[in-house]
Amino acid sequence: MARYVANRLMQAVMLLVIVSALGFAILHLAPGGPLSQFAVSSQMTQEDLDRVTKQLGLDRPLPIQYLDWFGRMLRGDWGRSYRDGEAVLSVIGSHLGATLELMATATVIAILLGCWIGVLGAVRRYSLFDSLATVGAMIALSIPTFWFGLVTIYLFSVNLGWLPSGNRQTIGDGSLLDLLHHLIAPAMVLALVETAIWGRFMRSSMLEVINQDYIRTARAKGMPEWRILTLHALRNALLPMITVAGLQFPTLLGGALVTETVFTWPGMGRLFLDSIGYRDYPVVMGILMFSATMVLIGSLLADILYAVVDPRIRVG
Amino acid sequence: MSTAALPTVHLAPGQAAWQRFRRHRLAFAGAVTIVVLVLGSAFGPYLLPFDDTFIDVMKRFAPPLSGAHILGTDELGRDVLARLMMGGRVSLSIGIVAMVIAMAVGILVGAFAGFYGGVLGAVLMRLVDAVLCFPTIFLLLALAALTEPGFVTITLLIAATAWMSVARVVEAQVRSLREREFAIAAVAFGSSNLRIMFRELVPNAMAPIVVAATLNVAKAILLESYVSYLGYGIQPPAASWGNMLNNAQIYLTSAPWLAIAPGIAITLAVTSFNFLGDGLRDALDPRMNIP
Amino acid sequence: MADETGKFDVPALGNLTPGIPNRRHFMLLGASAAAGLTVPASAFAQTERPTNPPDKPRGQVIAALSQEPTVFHPLMPGIEVDQGVWWQIFSPLWFIDPDGNFVPDLAREVPTIENGGLSADGLTWKIRLRSDAKWHDGTAFTAEDVKFSLELVNNPDFRARNRVGHSLVKDIKVVAPDEIHWRMESPYSPYMSILSLTFMVPKHIQEKVSDPNNSPFHNAPVGTGPFRWGERVPGDHILLNAHTGYHGNGPYLERVVFKYIPDLTVLYTQFRTGQVDYTGLQGILPNFVQEAKTLRGRKIFVSSTASVEHVAPNLEFGPFVDRTVREALYLAINKKAIIDALNYGLPTQTESFVPQQAWSFQQGLPQHSYDPAKANALLDAAGWVRGAGGVREKGGAKLEFTNSTTSGNAVREQTQQLLIQDWRAIGAAMRVNNMPAAVIWGDFWQQSKFNSVLVSVNFMLGSDPDVTPRFGSGAIPAKGGRGFNTYQYQSPEADRLLAEGAKQFDLAQRKVIYGDLQKLVRKDLAVLPLFQGFIAEGVKDGLQGFRHNINTSSNCWNIREWYWT
Repeated sequence: MARYVANRLMQAVMLLVIVSALGFAILHLAPGGPLSQFAVSSQMTQEDLDRVTKQLGLDRPLPIQYLDWFGRMLRGDWGRSYRDGEAVLSVIGSHLGATLELMATATVIAILLGCWIGVLGAVRRYSLFDSLATVGAMIALSIPTFWFGLVTIYLFSVNLGWLPSGNRQTIGDGSLLDLLHHLIAPAMVLALVETAIWGRFMRSSMLEVINQDYIRTARAKGMPEWRILTLHALRNALLPMITVAGLQFPTLLGGALVTETVFTWPGMGRLFLDSIGYRDYPVVMGILMFSATMVLIGSLLADILYAVVDPRIRVG
Repeated sequence: MSTAALPTVHLAPGQAAWQRFRRHRLAFAGAVTIVVLVLGSAFGPYLLPFDDTFIDVMKRFAPPLSGAHILGTDELGRDVLARLMMGGRVSLSIGIVAMVIAMAVGILVGAFAGFYGGVLGAVLMRLVDAVLCFPTIFLLLALAALTEPGFVTITLLIAATAWMSVARVVEAQVRSLREREFAIAAVAFGSSNLRIMFRELVPNAMAPIVVAATLNVAKAILLESYVSYLGYGIQPPAASWGNMLNNAQIYLTSAPWLAIAPGIAITLAVTSFNFLGDGLRDALDPRMNIP
Repeated sequence: MADETGKFDVPALGNLTPGIPNRRHFMLLGASAAAGLTVPASAFAQTERPTNPPDKPRGQVIAALSQEPTVFHPLMPGIEVDQGVWWQIFSPLWFIDPDGNFVPDLAREVPTIENGGLSADGLTWKIRLRSDAKWHDGTAFTAEDVKFSLELVNNPDFRARNRVGHSLVKDIKVVAPDEIHWRMESPYSPYMSILSLTFMVPKHIQEKVSDPNNSPFHNAPVGTGPFRWGERVPGDHILLNAHTGYHGNGPYLERVVFKYIPDLTVLYTQFRTGQVDYTGLQGILPNFVQEAKTLRGRKIFVSSTASVEHVAPNLEFGPFVDRTVREALYLAINKKAIIDALNYGLPTQTESFVPQQAWSFQQGLPQHSYDPAKANALLDAAGWVRGAGGVREKGGAKLEFTNSTTSGNAVREQTQQLLIQDWRAIGAAMRVNNMPAAVIWGDFWQQSKFNSVLVSVNFMLGSDPDVTPRFGSGAIPAKGGRGFNTYQYQSPEADRLLAEGAKQFDLAQRKVIYGDLQKLVRKDLAVLPLFQGFIAEGVKDGLQGFRHNINTSSNCWNIREWYWT
């Protein structure tokens, strides 16, 4: 097992290098650059633009820029944002909290609600509950998040005035109640899709398991239904969910991006969108490496967990 | 009760599946809706008196049923119903084609990786992991920035972001099924690897694959709307459900039907695909007990 | 120069000053034209309502911006929203008020030839400064700070925003703590305007820093402005507190908050529901303005900007080379529909690249008429024959082209749809090719790789109508020139007029020359002008003091004078 982990870690490192090179190349080769925003203004002449390009080191050949950036990253210097000059790690850090808050809340809601709906739906198949839940989940998955967010704002903020129409807090009031008040709408919107996803997969996985022979045997043996569910069915049904969970981080980040945009949430998704728009290369690369690292760690943990739980899987 | 044996009807497996499918009413409804949408998008425009790109600035924002326009007109005076149908052509095609490509690639990669395991499996799954490291939006944005936005590009981009999750699920399933009795039995019988992979293992992994496939069409249609939202979508004057929804955003309070129409269309289409997938899944699972 | 109302909105350099004669004229002829020599420090002169600002700062204003200010060093490259913050934290030597008068800020008076501030040849500058200005940390502001700031701009290691004008400053001498002299290498009249947008940075803090491009100052700036730095939550807001030791009038607010709301619909919603008090850039979307005007408790200001929205053709591209084609295309545009329907009647039609409020604006230019029949006739006569699909052809070349603008700009995209239809009626096939701001304004625009672009540009150089960088034949970047002539306009007559205008000092004469230039550009249709730029801003009732100022880089220039009644 230890060898397997070590192996995977080494692979992860290699992967990160490839990811960084690919990302760097795509980003820098894409048309446009961080100075385009100034090119259209009157404030900077062509000479000023060339001078600043040189000062930012953007006129060097791409491999050199990459090696320079990579070398610094290994030493812990992830570069500085072209926009506010802050260290990239600090920029990411200042936005991370907001996103984690949103994602965590949404995930917790989604897992609890989704698994409950999925299991119940599988067990009471074709019942009214199951039908309603299925239809509900379908609709939840089918609505574009940004549209749903806009409708939510329109309904609950503009019309009813119950919820604030965006941002993380009322300026000047940072109390917990205020934070929660602002968190409700975006978390619910983000959780909507996640709940549906978890619910669907859970139901499908649960159905698979329930129809296995060993379940029928257990039932025939007279084991109480709830014990069958929790001891046998649920445990086995949760296995593929581990894979699903491992996949969720980038999906969640993408969903968070759209939700953050609609609700003006100062998180990493919003940061990413802005940074790509302004071609703030250091920050974009920073976010990329950060999320890639998180994803790799997540998938490694998922695989290890899967192997631990299912003795039939041999690792390595 | 008489103990005389009741006549048993022997249905062929296909007929039994069809019966189960029909019993799943929601799936049936879903299939019907999809057919209606597809036919409507394909032939509808020919039946309408209005062109989807004809601008009549004087007749902007006509509400539905207020005149000749059944669903009203949009911010440039174009007929919403016509645009909805033309947009349907675009969005539905993108959804289906992207899904097919994503599924093909995903199944291939996942099956090979799950079956062979070892170095090949590791390399393939690490490749999947590598691509999965990029947030979908990043991939879409960056790739879109290097290419000209258009129908083909968007389809390929969406497929490129969807195949990984399929591969992962397939790989996990195949990997665990590989150790199962029937697989080992097949090996003992001397079946070729490919045969085992695609005739034994993958079909047994069909249920999650089918779920994934239908969710993928739904996702593809939704992704198209997101890509339009970010500015890389189908370019005007062509309509797609996504870019109609995007354009309707700022008029949500003054002309809500502009957002409701494509929103409902997207929801209907996506929901129908999901129900359809559910029904297919039930129909194809050979070990299911029909109550 | 360029002012693009798109994702990256940036002001012109020292915008327009109606009524201000050319500085060179002023210096050389010694006339003391309307230069606002001794306007009192209070610029409160022309508000409509009686003003009763409170004795002590009271309350806060939440200003919404659709882009995030991220640069807080006022001498580094920044966009318009950054300028909005700089106006609160820092002060320039003088500024230009909405009526075009130069008003001293850190300087005691604006230097002129009469008061000895400027030498007759415009080369020696002697500026007397206030002695009561203080930095936010209590240190006194002196001439050393001015010297330091100007030298910093010229420091080769410093990433200065621009050196235009500053590079000509030599031999800076601090004669006294409140007096500074320097010598200009050559007379340069726009420098007066340039300095009105150059903020002073503190020497005592910045001189100790090892890297001028990056220091704690960059995210905790210290200035002499009416507000001091409070806090910044990245991606969310910036909080500024009143600086009670401010040397000028105000501030009358305890706090100013710049709130970042990237989506314009949400920005309007928050204004509507009262969560923001003032909608700054990019203002209220045209389709909301009518409704906004009916909102209770809100005041809406629609004002013109110095930019002109136009279709910019690449004059070296196929069909655009032919002037007849451009004229036909112009005739086929339904401007009224664009202005009245798409923009809700807010902007005014224009034929010139000069803003209508400018002293150099030429009246009586040929008016546009929407005449597709005439357009068709012109094209027919010129040999453009309709071919397959109704698209005209001549000599094997089709009358087809792309039009680009910043993607995501709803009104522009609608305008493009209208143009497609209008031009299809005369046999011209236009295709949309939009791209995000970071891409379109890169090489695509600068190196004239486009066919045509729908854009809003501020052509003026400060208050000066000298548009050599825009229309001079030596200013084509794609041909190696230095300038912004991305249209690739080449006209010997225009060059002659531009050269003459730059040398001419008599105001009346200059007006004639630039009038001729406008007539020439209009005749040649180097650009197809649509309308003059505008911005709709909203202010909550009870908030006094807002004044639109076309001459500063931001409408947030006078927040120090805002107060709640």
